[in-house]
Amino acid sequence: MKISWLPVAAGAAVVATVIRAAFFTPLEAKQGAAQKIFYLHVPAAWVAFLAFFFVAVASGVYLWLRDPRLDRFAESSAEVGVVFTTVVLITGPLWAKPIWGTYWAWWDVRLVSTLFLWFIYLAYLVLRGAIESPELRARYSAVLGILGALLIPFIHLSVYLFSTMHPLPIVGKPSKPSLPSEMLLTLMISLFSFTLLYFAFLRSRYAYAVERDARASRLEHA
Amino acid sequence: MPDTSTYYHVAYTIALAIYVLYGVSLWARRKRLREP
Repeated sequence: MKISWLPVAAGAAVVATVIRAAFFTPLEAKQGAAQKIFYLHVPAAWVAFLAFFFVAVASGVYLWLRDPRLDRFAESSAEVGVVFTTVVLITGPLWAKPIWGTYWAWWDVRLVSTLFLWFIYLAYLVLRGAIESPELRARYSAVLGILGALLIPFIHLSVYLFSTMHPLPIVGKPSKPSLPSEMLLTLMISLFSFTLLYFAFLRSRYAYAVERDARASRLEHA
Repeated sequence: MPDTSTYYHVAYTIALAIYVLYGVSLWARRKRLREP
């Protein structure tokens, strides 16, 4: 049996990250253990944005070149992005409850726009399932894939533009990161591990799409 | 320091379960596709 190194490496990296976050990273003085949700929440958000950015790029190039490989890539990245956004939307409220006293606030633009992003890419996947013609499906979903990604800069900047409960970035900001070095290192390891997990999922999902299309083509010509 | 460990444990359990289930679903979908 052939063993693929990427999922094994990604799984090992995620396990190592969780062990480091749980046992070798100090507790934050004010928030206690709940602050450790940070090491899941922030990488999941980063990967979701990366995944949808790739959807937009692949979709844009697809509309130009009409290469079905780009459509499969966009489809795969969108599905994986939805998984990571789901993690963002679950871990965020679980972190918010003990710190802000509430799971969710409908007036908070960062929270609601992230939920909106999740709905857009969920709609993208539903749209793909609803159109039979491969060319039409690829074209329509490419347009939605590009439009959805326009929300990403808005979500990132929303904490600066509107009043929000969500904290401002403490790492991805113009000045130096304001985080103790041990916590910063855990975050960096976590960002690396979950990015690796994204590529492992993406490769597997893309391989599935290739096999599915090849099988459909065989059945069509049989 | 407040005891917020329940939220931390629940968040880690759910998030890791989602990743594992998604990985298994990918493997199962590819396996089903290869069946004659």
